[in-house]
Amino acid sequence: MEAGFAVTMEGITKRFGPVVALDEVTLKVRKGTIHALVGENGAGKTTLMKILYGAYPATEGQYQIFEETAKFKNSAEAIQTGIGMVSQHYSIIGELTCLENLMLGAESSWLIPQSASIQLAEKLAAQMGFEFDWGALASGLSPAGAQKLEILKLLWRNSQIMILDEPTAMLTPQDSDALYASLKTLVKQGATVIVVTHRLPEVIEHCDQVTVLRGGKLVANEPVDPGETDLPARLAELIVGRAIAFPELSKREPGERLLTAEKICVRGSRGEISVRAASFSLCAGEIVGLAGVDGSGQRELFAALYGTQPIVSGLVDFLGEQLASTTKERLRNGLKWIPEDRHRQALIEDWTLDDNAALGMHCAPPFAENGHINRAGRRQAASEIASLFATKFGALSDPIASLSGGNQQRFVNARTLFSKPRVILAFQPARGLDIDATRAFYAELSKAVEEGATALVVSFDLDELIQYTDRILVMSLGELYETGQSRNRTEIGKLMVGAA
Amino acid sequence: MNEFITLLGGTLTLSAPLILAAMGGLVSERSGIINIALEGKMLIAAVAVWLIGAKTGNPYLGLAAGVGAASLFSLIHWLLTQKYAFDHIVSGMAVNALAFGGSNFLDKRYTDPSQVSFAKFDSWLYWIVAIGLPICLWLYLRRTRGGLRLMAVGNDPEKSRQMGVFPLRIRLVSLLATGVFCGVAGSLIVSNAGSFNDGMTSGKGFIALAALIVGGWRPIPALIACLLFGMLQQVQIQFQGEAIAGVMVPNWVWLSLPYFATIVALAGFLGRDRTPKGLGKP
Amino acid sequence: MNWRLFLLIAACIATIFAILVVGGFPAGQVLLDLLNGSVGSLKVFSKTLREMTPLLIAGTAVFVALRAGLFNIGVEGQFTMGAMGCAAVAIWIPNWFGVLCGALAGIILGALWAFPAAWIRAYRNGHEVITTIMLNNIAGFLTTALVVGPLKDPFRENATTAAIPIMFPNIFSTPTLGQNGKPDGTFEITIGLVVGITLATLLWFWLKRTVAGYELEAVGANPSAAEMAGIAVRRVTVKAMLSSGGIAGLAGALQVLVLEGRFYKDFSQGYGFDSLGVALLAGGNPLALIPSALAFGIIKKGASSITVMHSVPKGITLVILGLMIVVFAAIRYRKHMGRAVA
Repeated sequence: MEAGFAVTMEGITKRFGPVVALDEVTLKVRKGTIHALVGENGAGKTTLMKILYGAYPATEGQYQIFEETAKFKNSAEAIQTGIGMVSQHYSIIGELTCLENLMLGAESSWLIPQSASIQLAEKLAAQMGFEFDWGALASGLSPAGAQKLEILKLLWRNSQIMILDEPTAMLTPQDSDALYASLKTLVKQGATVIVVTHRLPEVIEHCDQVTVLRGGKLVANEPVDPGETDLPARLAELIVGRAIAFPELSKREPGERLLTAEKICVRGSRGEISVRAASFSLCAGEIVGLAGVDGSGQRELFAALYGTQPIVSGLVDFLGEQLASTTKERLRNGLKWIPEDRHRQALIEDWTLDDNAALGMHCAPPFAENGHINRAGRRQAASEIASLFATKFGALSDPIASLSGGNQQRFVNARTLFSKPRVILAFQPARGLDIDATRAFYAELSKAVEEGATALVVSFDLDELIQYTDRILVMSLGELYETGQSRNRTEIGKLMVGAA
Repeated sequence: MNEFITLLGGTLTLSAPLILAAMGGLVSERSGIINIALEGKMLIAAVAVWLIGAKTGNPYLGLAAGVGAASLFSLIHWLLTQKYAFDHIVSGMAVNALAFGGSNFLDKRYTDPSQVSFAKFDSWLYWIVAIGLPICLWLYLRRTRGGLRLMAVGNDPEKSRQMGVFPLRIRLVSLLATGVFCGVAGSLIVSNAGSFNDGMTSGKGFIALAALIVGGWRPIPALIACLLFGMLQQVQIQFQGEAIAGVMVPNWVWLSLPYFATIVALAGFLGRDRTPKGLGKP
Repeated sequence: MNWRLFLLIAACIATIFAILVVGGFPAGQVLLDLLNGSVGSLKVFSKTLREMTPLLIAGTAVFVALRAGLFNIGVEGQFTMGAMGCAAVAIWIPNWFGVLCGALAGIILGALWAFPAAWIRAYRNGHEVITTIMLNNIAGFLTTALVVGPLKDPFRENATTAAIPIMFPNIFSTPTLGQNGKPDGTFEITIGLVVGITLATLLWFWLKRTVAGYELEAVGANPSAAEMAGIAVRRVTVKAMLSSGGIAGLAGALQVLVLEGRFYKDFSQGYGFDSLGVALLAGGNPLALIPSALAFGIIKKGASSITVMHSVPKGITLVILGLMIVVFAAIRYRKHMGRAVA
């Protein structure tokens, strides 16, 4: 381990307007290691990596690559220096072939030598034990295939320093293990790998060194010792900044069944079956958590319940009747949701708080009567919604885009609870919220279910679900599993990754 | 037999400007810029060729002026869509308006009343360029670095940027190429007609756009569509008022066929959707 | 003000001056006469209002579609079809019923002409701009064929229909006095203008105060959020486009019923383009359509008078309008420029 440093970043500060995303962060990565960068969502991991990759300039601070000072104006310069990055959502363009994706931005010459390129591509693939149909469109690749192609892209560019942002987010456990095996091969050949992740088992099992960020600040940087038994707990504490205390099990007794799904199947965006015969029921008086790795089919399940995606087969019973066919009727009958994507699905950013308050409930009192908008009623409702979770805003007539992400989320959460729903479908309702705000949200949600509603909550943060929900369902590769009242983190974790 | 030769010649004459303009549209739309300004770019080129070709008596200078004028308008188009991030439709309409107004102004103000002709090249030279260009473009898109990057930018500018490709630069080059192709097309239109008339492109830019869409934004199918549309026009001129294959087709239906075909193509009845995914994205 | 925006506006104004100066026209005087010829006297102002009327109604048409996130470039074709349909009906019925039928025919044909674009946009995901451009061209061929063929007035040389028997009378009309104190023309307010102003006002009310208007604006502002809020996005899209087409058709019909009295070849004088400018300038408020249409009316009327007074080629009008669109688009869209990418 006496090799020099591949990356040295010192005193890196990054501000976006008034927001400090990174505060004097230092990161040193030794050559030939797998270095983990961990932290909660919003800790600044991705921002730090984007600075290293030349996508953002740092507000303050400097960095050296292979002990030479660098200052990248754009990603092209970083690529030239030997840095490669695989972003969480991949940068593969579906309409180009695999070979074209492989070369893009790093073509060998003005004229593309077709057969020589394929030969080189084959050679790189063989080196990693991968196989590709080079002439096929990349849109046909599975997530694992895309991840593999991304790694070959780094090799094609002779990247010496490889940054992988949440590389296993969309992968099955087997594929994740295979990925780390490939990364180890690369490291043996002299590459340096930085993995951005929030999955501790991966860090402990596969990485050499770990750096922890919290709230844009460096909190730890140490070698990984797999022998240390309480390492996971200690790292977890470093990440969240406190010991995670698991609360008492809830004493709520579930009441009547409000929504029952029987063997429903839903297709994903590529037409594949993403939800496989899922059956579950939601009863009055309980909050049900839906755990699972991102991309296990939660999105499709929710879309089917919203009515934006058709249910291929199976039945959903809602309040004793078959679920209405249109989104509008479902909303009217008391099925309400907190969608995943605030910007795209939950809010109209150019609109005022007033106008946004009515979205989804705009046909009925107090927002409207007989097709006419009730402006006074709407204003009153908007101010109630804004005050429920103490949303910080200037005026109700300001565009909602002027609110911070966390405040927008409070507004969306409050709006859903305001409508006195029977069933609440919440997708990552605590995203962008701090711990106090999260607690406040779940307190209100509990109040709502105690008054006879029920809730299904998706979160990628298992601890959040363990802490706040009454019962946890697990989704893995489109299959739904019941865990009963189990609070065993390991058991649920195993189900999530399909290892149970 | 004679009729056939007339048909062939006429088809080539009418198709060549369509092909050139369609290829101009192809490079810009494939790079992600919605281009409804082909018409205007050809028109401004036509007036430049007409004026400079007559003033200098040199066909090379005339053509250069046409290409230059269309490229200048393309540059404006690039500034508006890329630097100022205007909506592509609004930019395209503004460029068209400037070209329509500008060409009228230049023609009326600067044409020497005694001018009856201008220095020009023979049509067959343009024909060779028009047939060769789609083949060259096809090779360019499939076999070169520039072509690959152009398609990447047109499909997903954001991801291309991550791969170190600069959408703004690629689109500048693409739009300048559009200017050059439209310049040549405009020069051909005015050469065919022999003199400049107000609005003389008479919708050719939109037919070219139609051919591009019907051809699924691919060079060779777009070439075929242009030839087909050119032939439709020639048949209409040649057999005006006669029954074709025993059916009396009204003139306006005949003239509208390219537009009908485009609507049908956009409705998805002619194969899968091949619209570049990054069309109109920043 | 953002320096880039400033540069753009300066460049546009400089371009107009440069064109006039290099062309050998007295630029200052020409621009002054542009105003004189449009708002200089009651007589010319009356003409400016005439010019403004179709722009206001067609601008309202573009506006409705724009609020639903649709670019209706097809106003040109819908306007022409509406005018043709109106004339074709109205010439046969020599009473008030004919006028009403004509207006109705205009609305129906306009909406009909927008339908393919609406349907393809909503259900086949094809870009409405391209389809409407194609429909414009077809409308041009079709109406020309009709007006040189079956609809042509056999007693006239030109490609035109016969005059309709009854036109809408002016609402208000008074003689204007020239410089020597003698009457030199009339100042008129037509029913078209009243309809236009009423439409813009109703639209304002409809968008801001009704649930249907709220839904339309939601679809325009964020279709996926609208869908999640239970709004039938496709149905709203189709309705918006059909309304837009219907209003454009009405604009064409009123042009026949109020001003022209007949339909002829090349009836629309670039209204499709101008109305887009009017709607863009109005921004998000339908009431702003009225001053916006007036501004375009002033430019159009003024520009046509300078082409007479100074023999500036008429292309100058389009150049000025084109540059105006650039400036308005820059002002309207400025918030999208230089927004922090975070």
